[in-house]
Amino acid sequence: MAIVRWNPARELERWPSDFFGIQREINRLFDDFFHGGTQADGDFGVSYWTPAVDIAEHNDEYLVKVELPGVEKEDVRITLESNILTIRGEKKKETEEKGKSFHRTERSYGSFQRSFALPTTVKSDEIDALYKDGVLTIHLPKAEEAKPKQIEVKVK
Amino acid sequence: MGTNGNNALERRRSDALVKHRESAETIVSPVGDIYETSDAFVVKLDMPGATKDSISLKVEPGYISVRASVGLYHAEQANILVNEIVRKSYFREFNLGQGINHNDVQASFEDGVLTINLPKTEGSKAKEIQIKS
Repeated sequence: MAIVRWNPARELERWPSDFFGIQREINRLFDDFFHGGTQADGDFGVSYWTPAVDIAEHNDEYLVKVELPGVEKEDVRITLESNILTIRGEKKKETEEKGKSFHRTERSYGSFQRSFALPTTVKSDEIDALYKDGVLTIHLPKAEEAKPKQIEVKVK
Repeated sequence: MGTNGNNALERRRSDALVKHRESAETIVSPVGDIYETSDAFVVKLDMPGATKDSISLKVEPGYISVRASVGLYHAEQANILVNEIVRKSYFREFNLGQGINHNDVQASFEDGVLTINLPKTEGSKAKEIQIKS
């Protein structure tokens, strides 16, 4: 079989049957390799970036921190579906570009999405999120059955 | 390192290193955009986790530096499952060209972004010349 140069556009011709598979693959690649980085896709004019995330487990809750500097609260969406937490949104470039000449652009813009499978079930109706100083904090209280219990065993 | 104290930049760098050793944090240079308008230069730095009160901004003729500490994101006893955010403080410095009115520098901090407005001096603003007939 001849070696053919891989053409991502050709993969898209199989749309829609394969399209979402490719999107999943891209998301996975981004999650794996581009932590805190940015990737612009010239062909589609869409840029992505991957905000850094911390997840800590406490006795009674999971605490998620996401660094989203310059993102507006209204542009962030948090969903929980079958124990998978997804944080997605967009960091918009300032709309007023007129009369500005840029000397340096190091900051990342565009869409972002991160998904995490939580180890135990959480109380989905008591999830609480706060955005302050560029950091998103999400509190996910554990469901009662998932909390560690101390059981005293009497020795006879 | 500039032991004679004459090289101001070297001295600042060594100050930063000493601070680094004391706190066992990573010093992160915040990423930024710099653009120019008709009457100012604007610097925007992404500094998530800093607070308005933690930021120190120093302006001298020809030089500007930004430093900020970032509080702990987690309690000591937390079991960290995913850790991509480094424990850090921020430091970045810029040399300014001529024509900036360093006495009138303004700064604001919103949504983790520090915006520094460096106004141009009157003499350095672009002027439009009308062509006569």
